[in-house]
Amino acid sequence: MSSFGLNRRHLLLAGAAMSLDMTLPAALRAAPRRGGILTAVLWPAPQTLTAAATTAGTEMLVSAKIFDGLCGYDFDMRPQPLLAESWDISADGLRMRFNLRKGVRWHDGTPFTSKDVAFSLLKVWKVLHGRGRSTFADVTEVQTPDDTTAVFVLKRPAPAIMKALFSAESQILPAHLYDGTDILQNPFNLKPVGTGPYKFVSFERGDNLVLARNEDYWDKELPYVDRFVFRFVPDAATRAAMLESSQAQIVPNGLLNAPDITRLGKLPDIELESRGYEHSCGMQLMDFNLDNPHLANLKVRQALAHAIDRNWILRNVWSNFGKAATGPIHVKQTDFYTTEGVPAYPYDIKKAEALLDEAGFKRGAGGVRFTITIDPLPYGDEPLRAAEYIREQCRRIGIAMTVRTQDFGAFVKRVYTDRDFDINIVSASTTADPTIGVQRFYWSKNFIKGVAFSNGSHYANPEVDALLEAAQTELDASKRRDLFVRFQRIAMADLPSLPLVFNDRVTVTRKTLRDHTVGGVGPFDSQSKAWLAA
Amino acid sequence: MSGSPALSYFVRRLSQAVLVMFVVVLGNFLLIQLAPGDLVDVLGGTTDLSPEQALALRQRYGLDQPLWMQFLHYAGNLLHFDLGFSPRQGAPVVNVLLERLPTTLALVFLSLFLSVAIGTAVGVLAARRAGTLADFGLSLVVLLFYATPSFIIALLLILGFSVYLPWLPSAGLSTPGMDLEGFAKLSDIGRHFILPVIALSTFYTAIYGRLSRAAMLEVLSQDFIRTARAKGVPERGLLWRHALRNALMPIVTMAGLQVSSLLGGAVLIETVFGLPGIGRTAFDAVMERDTNMLLGVLFMSSLGVVCVNLLVDLLYRLVDPRVELA
Amino acid sequence: MRRKLKTLLQHPSGFVGFVLLAAILIMAASAGTLYPEGPWPMDGTPTLWPGEEPAYLLGTDAMGRDLLAGLLYGARVSLAIGLAATAVALLVGVTVGAFAGYHGGLIDDALMRFTDAMQTIPSFLFAVVIVGVLTPSLLTIICSIALVSWPTVARLVRAEFLRLRSMDFVLACRTMGMSDVRIIFRQILPNCVAPIIVASSVLVATAIIIEASLSFLGLGDPNAMSWGTMIGAARPSLRTAWYMTLVPAAAVVATVLALNLIGDALNDAFNPRRRER
Repeated sequence: MSSFGLNRRHLLLAGAAMSLDMTLPAALRAAPRRGGILTAVLWPAPQTLTAAATTAGTEMLVSAKIFDGLCGYDFDMRPQPLLAESWDISADGLRMRFNLRKGVRWHDGTPFTSKDVAFSLLKVWKVLHGRGRSTFADVTEVQTPDDTTAVFVLKRPAPAIMKALFSAESQILPAHLYDGTDILQNPFNLKPVGTGPYKFVSFERGDNLVLARNEDYWDKELPYVDRFVFRFVPDAATRAAMLESSQAQIVPNGLLNAPDITRLGKLPDIELESRGYEHSCGMQLMDFNLDNPHLANLKVRQALAHAIDRNWILRNVWSNFGKAATGPIHVKQTDFYTTEGVPAYPYDIKKAEALLDEAGFKRGAGGVRFTITIDPLPYGDEPLRAAEYIREQCRRIGIAMTVRTQDFGAFVKRVYTDRDFDINIVSASTTADPTIGVQRFYWSKNFIKGVAFSNGSHYANPEVDALLEAAQTELDASKRRDLFVRFQRIAMADLPSLPLVFNDRVTVTRKTLRDHTVGGVGPFDSQSKAWLAA
Repeated sequence: MSGSPALSYFVRRLSQAVLVMFVVVLGNFLLIQLAPGDLVDVLGGTTDLSPEQALALRQRYGLDQPLWMQFLHYAGNLLHFDLGFSPRQGAPVVNVLLERLPTTLALVFLSLFLSVAIGTAVGVLAARRAGTLADFGLSLVVLLFYATPSFIIALLLILGFSVYLPWLPSAGLSTPGMDLEGFAKLSDIGRHFILPVIALSTFYTAIYGRLSRAAMLEVLSQDFIRTARAKGVPERGLLWRHALRNALMPIVTMAGLQVSSLLGGAVLIETVFGLPGIGRTAFDAVMERDTNMLLGVLFMSSLGVVCVNLLVDLLYRLVDPRVELA
Repeated sequence: MRRKLKTLLQHPSGFVGFVLLAAILIMAASAGTLYPEGPWPMDGTPTLWPGEEPAYLLGTDAMGRDLLAGLLYGARVSLAIGLAATAVALLVGVTVGAFAGYHGGLIDDALMRFTDAMQTIPSFLFAVVIVGVLTPSLLTIICSIALVSWPTVARLVRAEFLRLRSMDFVLACRTMGMSDVRIIFRQILPNCVAPIIVASSVLVATAIIIEASLSFLGLGDPNAMSWGTMIGAARPSLRTAWYMTLVPAAAVVATVLALNLIGDALNDAFNPRRRER
């Protein structure tokens, strides 16, 4: 029983197999077979069946089958037509015009119009959605000159919007059922009416959700499967067993134990897919509370960066699923990611000790320089394991670190409301665009007490603020990249947070399931093209 | 016998029970207030609430009112059997608990029954062959059961029966993905109960084993048994009709007292085996800061224990009128 | 007393218990010398089976920590928590039981109703709630275990006091004008020592089981290497690396077994009438 690193070779081979399929001439590619019941296993069970007002994973995943979004995305996160057939953005970026597909109907037969888009943006995304509030902050109105045209009018350009138009992120709700009601309490949240390829059939809270093919879907060929069933199973080993015994064909979002993923990946009838998460780019970050007298000293933060071997954490805590983090922007955000000129902190214990001495914190009684606490996010086991490793490394360089565990509510209160912490470890989805997913951690104006996953470190650098604010509205792609490149360099020089790992999530499927991941949104899109081979 | 002293005793015990329940409810309510953060903090983590929304949510759940007011509100509702609403489950607490209660009741009573049956059988057997190798062997096994925590037994069972001898399922209440009806459904659920019931009952089997062995030995050496033996009563009949009936008293007492302990053990077993019972609900409620749900479970389990104790007391009175009621 | 000790050691199962407990104590004591760096260093290759590498006799866990080190330091945690929790439970339980049993009447009623209330909540559930609410740490774990254990002690002591308070020597002391407190602690209590000692061994065993269960569920102190935490951490690897579960599990069972055997021996030593045939 040696290491359980799923090496990159396996993933590359899996990826190559997929792409080979894609590049074969259409005639040689296996023709999709119609019919069958597709079963997915998820956890936790969803509380509601629309993701318009929530960023919770399961809700996003299941609702995207029922509701179509304005756009789909390819593997490079470039928008593709979906409910919006085409779009154009004015030169000054202040008007975004979407030409909507004709003949689309809601599941109850009512025609889908631009009014639904306007309602959803103005009354739902801007008001109730955690990220939507900032993504669409600069949209002042949505004009609807006719039923199939929607024009976003902005007071400042917001290029990030084009990356956020998939259904799981910005979900279009039927205005005729939601307008004028209490959206969060609306009964249609539990019997949803959407525009997507799968219609709602039944929902047994905490147990299963059944969807059936939408026979009136605007794409006459799709979807292929008759039914899409979701089962909610709390035990990871049972989820693996269900996949193995063909009771389910897909377990997305890394919902299996790492040893099981490795073991299953070796089986002949199971495959692993690590693409399809480019829309979320999850990563693990360590925030330093800059109000702490020790951590306020840059040398101390640099010392910690040198003492923590991110590769070790990747290998032993996250089983090699991903890459060691090099900066605040995820490696998969290829438009902006860079390592050039970005300070790196190679693993060097001696350097760490030297820096701490230079900072004036010499070893005292018992070899201890000072004490400090760390609070890992109580979501899954991994942040706690990473914290244990970090505590051990700190002990080696003379810092006595105490790990504190608590439940989710206590964590949020302690870190974001009371600011009673020194270091924390958070898992963050940095989404497809740094303005949406990264800015919130580094922007001084996002230091708001009581709001979870905001600027936890209390970092305030006017230069960084200026760069982020400029990038928020910069339309020129290369200028925008340049802004983010400079941001990455400063962020890693100032080190208010230490990014630990860029996570890769894995979708585990039976080989009989084809075309389940066709773009960067992966299992979080409608999966209308998925089909079951005989 | 006479109705009056029994009735007044019963009334006295009942009023004591009510007082006890009140103390329990108040104590739990205050205890939970000691936790940092509240439900809105938990919800805020995943739904990214703005400060205004957080305030609105707190108002909706009454979390912004002074403590004594919240308690009065809660206690008042309790009298109507309204245990409040669980935002996590999106349903009234009573509904969720009643839905999950059968699972726990089945687990607890099956375990109780199994442990009493097997424990008594083992104990009687050992007592009969007291001092022999069989007695020693059985006592050793009993001791091991007594010393092994239930979750370790549970893990060993999962390892053995689900991984190496894949006969029995290791999690959940039923096989997901099958739409079974009637008998097939019952047997499927039954299969899922086998390992959890075994895991929960080993400790209590050991207790009853030791107890029944000691009790049997005590009884077997008493005069009336020797007399019966001398009279030529067959050994079998001796065992069952005379000895066992007298040895049963302490076992019944024990059984009544064990319900509270079994409910506690159910928390662990349900969590390990992923059974949707109220034990696991309680654990999830602690982790998710679902105050109403947690208070509801604590109230319900205390109520259950109080009722069982009352019942055992009355049973005593009926079975053995010699027992004093003080 | 010396005679009692002799009886104890001659008792076969009691002797086994003592030997086992001594072994555990040695484990706890030697942890610091054998593994001065503590149990947390993650230097080994993860998931090594016992015997695969000579440096790691019992193998390593999923993060590369030496299981033997974990075993030794875990002994410290288990014994420390067991003893501390029992001490607190005894303190509270003896006080409550003594006062209730001695004074009787209204005080007894009130104290017993309170004890009843404590006992209606299932112990493990209550422990989970307390630790969950107060956030896990060695202190909160000790408090929660003590809180669920004292009622049994109280009942035991109360029963003894009810028996003893009407005896002649107590009446004599009262006639002499001795204060109640003095009578309780100096006169009656010393006569109850026997059942209290017997109960203590069971209490320590129970405390260790509760602590292991709490740690297994993730409610343990994250800065203390406990056997329960080790078992919990080994759960994802149960199928592929079951030794990670078995090693700490064996330690828990051995400790609890030892304490139970000692308890039985003590019981037999103090109550010769009830010695098993």
